[in-house]
Amino acid sequence: MNFSFSDDQVLLKNSVRAALDEQCKPAHVRAMMEDSRGYGDGLWSEMAKLGWLGLPFAEEYGGAGLGLVELCLVEEELGRAAYPGPYFASVVLGGLGLALGGSPAQKEKWLSAVASGSARLSAALVEESLDWDPASTRTTATRAGDGFTLTGVKRFVPWAHVADALLVPARAPEGLSLFLVAPGAPGVSLRPMVGIDLANRWSEMRLEGTPVKADAVVGQPGGAGPLLESLLRRAAVCASAEMLGAARRSLDMSVEYAKVREQFGQPIGSFQAIRHRCAEMLMAAENAHAAVYYAAWALNAGAEDAAMAASVCKSYVSEAARQVCGDAIQVHGGIGFTWEYDLHLYFKRAKALEPLYGDAEYHRELIARQVVA
Amino acid sequence: MDLNYTTEDVAFRKRVRTWLEQNMPRHIRNLDERKAWHRRLYEAGYLGMGWPKEYGGQGARPMEQAIVADEMARAGAPAPTNSLGVGIVGPTIVVHGTDAQKRRYLRKILTAEEMWCQLYSEPNAGSDLAALRTAAEDKGDHFFVNGQKIWTSGGAVADWGLLLARTDPAVPKHKGITCFLMNMHQPGVDVRPLKQITGSSEFCEVFMTNARVEKENMIGRLGEGWAIAQTTLGYERGGRALARITTYASQYKMLMEAARRLKRNGRPILDDAVTRQKLGRIWADLEVERYGALRTLTMLERGEHPGAGGSLTKLSYSEFEKRFMELAEEILGPYGQLTDGVPPEFRLEVDTAVGDHGTWAYAFLWSRAGTIYAGSSEIQKNVIGERILGLPKETRADRAGATR
Repeated sequence: MNFSFSDDQVLLKNSVRAALDEQCKPAHVRAMMEDSRGYGDGLWSEMAKLGWLGLPFAEEYGGAGLGLVELCLVEEELGRAAYPGPYFASVVLGGLGLALGGSPAQKEKWLSAVASGSARLSAALVEESLDWDPASTRTTATRAGDGFTLTGVKRFVPWAHVADALLVPARAPEGLSLFLVAPGAPGVSLRPMVGIDLANRWSEMRLEGTPVKADAVVGQPGGAGPLLESLLRRAAVCASAEMLGAARRSLDMSVEYAKVREQFGQPIGSFQAIRHRCAEMLMAAENAHAAVYYAAWALNAGAEDAAMAASVCKSYVSEAARQVCGDAIQVHGGIGFTWEYDLHLYFKRAKALEPLYGDAEYHRELIARQVVA
Repeated sequence: MDLNYTTEDVAFRKRVRTWLEQNMPRHIRNLDERKAWHRRLYEAGYLGMGWPKEYGGQGARPMEQAIVADEMARAGAPAPTNSLGVGIVGPTIVVHGTDAQKRRYLRKILTAEEMWCQLYSEPNAGSDLAALRTAAEDKGDHFFVNGQKIWTSGGAVADWGLLLARTDPAVPKHKGITCFLMNMHQPGVDVRPLKQITGSSEFCEVFMTNARVEKENMIGRLGEGWAIAQTTLGYERGGRALARITTYASQYKMLMEAARRLKRNGRPILDDAVTRQKLGRIWADLEVERYGALRTLTMLERGEHPGAGGSLTKLSYSEFEKRFMELAEEILGPYGQLTDGVPPEFRLEVDTAVGDHGTWAYAFLWSRAGTIYAGSSEIQKNVIGERILGLPKETRADRAGATR
């Protein structure tokens, strides 16, 4: 039993923190919020060089062969920096999706390109209904020769506008299937969906008779259900890690502010109303930490309670991060409500990830199914 | 990071489980039987495990201690007794006591031949413990103690008490306190049970009128009492980290069993979406407490002291317990309030916080104690704010002046 980071993991965390402190300052985040594409090539190639883009992939695909705990360490730091860019979309959604279910040829082609930074992936995992259960997929895949044509509408597809290929679930005659689709393929149209977290980008993706070849199927036709469930669990836990990072940053800023901001002739942190709130924020952050890294370990190790741990993690952290980031604004008072002050970057990052990959209520129902059974 | 138990720990758990199966009494009817069970646990090496070997312990790892407590919770084993003696008084004597005190008291604490209580809180010194007024007056070879203590756990059966008393009212309040070992069997000591909201009396009030404490029974030096009480002591630190969670989990399972018989709005209550959300949330919170316990045990195993981190743990689980019991009451409705005449299918038969089989009503009422005793949630938040986050202390009026 050892619930602590190894020396290598600590080293990784510190080096990610140092690189982001240098290259992903709030000024960079703000610049990218205004940028039409939304992320910078400089930081992207630095991420490739540092090995972050291939972190969870096998070495034969140019990856570092590390696990979910390490991936969550990186994600936590990205959340802490309100990082703008397609890291999560490319490495977690697309990359892990292919790593879990792709053919050797697909992995060869895409994972190496993701790891080197030359290609970006994403996945279109939710439709109009916002039901995160893959079984709810309504997009259709009709047989056409060796391949299929896809028709349907996907929503909240992260970073689709810069993706080279997207994982798209659709219902084929064989059952729920997963396809690799190029956003430039015939019949595909993207429309931006602009949320409050401007350092993150989403699109609506329409497919109208989009042709895909047989080799674009990921896994077996009709066999995508378990693969998607497995991918969604990983996405939920990595998103939680990012929310945890946003919460930590918000807490740190609140504590620093409470030490120096004076009212009634004293630092506001000396008032119990503020101090107790900060203590509650720390408790929530520490519990969220335990939830994220337990789930990351459990999924990685294939532990018996891995599915449960993923739902515990996403349901707990979704609300804990909301609470901590929101309390941070309250501790700051007026300045926390200004655009100029950076706090809202983290508040919005946590908020953006809260409903994605299943919100707290979705995952609580999954938990209830397991405990009631 | 590896959250599997080591093969060594798995084997140890198995040994403990087997031993419990063969040795555990089904019912404990009185204190003598509980003491006998305590003694048996001690002789098997499952009690006072964290104490150093030279004082009768096993020098066991925190994980081993946690596993024993966890297996006892799993088996529904009766609790041993003298927990304050084993958990706090003994370790205090080991660290601060004289050789004579160690020889005289330690072994009898472990064997429960002598039962101990802790004489700390007073009616006007709860969260502000250092405001205590019970006075110990130097009479040459002994002290005379006068004052009143309250919330004395196990006071009614204690042979001895670890006492904090004021020996110098002229100095700032934290500096004028001294620590003593006081014999409870003397005319100057009057112990009265304190009836709690549970209707039971796990706590007492203790009135001292010229109670005598020999000089040789002072712990440390004059005026060092506050510092001694503040030291994070205790060898039983793996303690109830896992056992607490196992107890919650068995209570949760019993709640689910009971809920299977109940309906809400014409449907089984377990099909009710609102109830399912609440059950899902509490289970998630319970799991998070478990993950946290594994994190704490990892620190302890590495020889790190959680220090003020203990305040985070205590705050988290005691507040959780209240939320959990409130949910149980919501689901069980009036069944959850029954103290007698409970239909068998709604009975709670796992240990409550004090180690007794009990009713939901009793466990619910007890959950109100956890966020008050051993430092209220508000005190824990002050500790977290000041010692972990480094927030400034509030301006306090009581740091400098004398107490009289």
